[in-house]
Amino acid sequence: MSDKVAETSLFDRDTVYVSEATSRADVFKAVADDLYKKGHVTEDFLKNLNEREDKYPTGIDLSVVSPEYPNVAIPHTEAEFVKERKVVPIKLKNPISFNNMIDPSQKLEVSFLFMILNNDPEGQSNVLAQIMDFINKTPRNQLLTFFKSTSEDAIYSFLQSKF
Amino acid sequence: MIKMLTACGAGVNSSHQIKDAVEAEMKKRGYQVSVEAIQIKDLNPETMKGVQIFLPINKPDLSFDVTVPEIDAGAILYRMPAMAAPVYDKIEDTIKKNHLS
Repeated sequence: MSDKVAETSLFDRDTVYVSEATSRADVFKAVADDLYKKGHVTEDFLKNLNEREDKYPTGIDLSVVSPEYPNVAIPHTEAEFVKERKVVPIKLKNPISFNNMIDPSQKLEVSFLFMILNNDPEGQSNVLAQIMDFINKTPRNQLLTFFKSTSEDAIYSFLQSKF
Repeated sequence: MIKMLTACGAGVNSSHQIKDAVEAEMKKRGYQVSVEAIQIKDLNPETMKGVQIFLPINKPDLSFDVTVPEIDAGAILYRMPAMAAPVYDKIEDTIKKNHLS
């Protein structure tokens, strides 16, 4: 419906990450510490991000979209712990286990995170909807290349042009 | 106006997407529907008051009995018509069967 791509970009070049982490805790900590240092989130962001992911997982099974796609997750937490509206892309070189958002009893191996910073749930278009639209409308071959990329620059420029 | 309620962990992304999608689709199908999006931790008999259909996303464990029809809405989050249509159909069936208005 009104999910028009926002005019200001949801992505920043300096908050695109390629992570070597092998656990959810490690990748969350590395990214959250950097986001805090850069002033995008509050000090309590990491703690709340972890608690929320434990209770309400955010893994998304993309095999139902295309069997070749890797799974993704959309970690996020309450608006009060973030200072702006952003999507933070994180490529995981080592797949990490997340539980399925719509069926928390199911575990998924995830290799890309779209961390959502949303300080304004009511405003504009829905960020999660935009991420799903991006996944659904990007040609399969291009998306597969994107998900395999381990270059922050390549990830950033692809998202800038295709999201 | 038919009142529905959905809930997710943070109350920012998933539940709002369900709200927007269900309100838009049901309007298209000719029903006056209002969906409230809240955090799962705020679900209780009080917030369920007046709710005619509950639209959970992620099979939440609740400490109370939900006494209204429950329809799993998580598939809507994929924003693929083929995945969302069965959920909308179930909502419409429930509205008709229970004569909700």
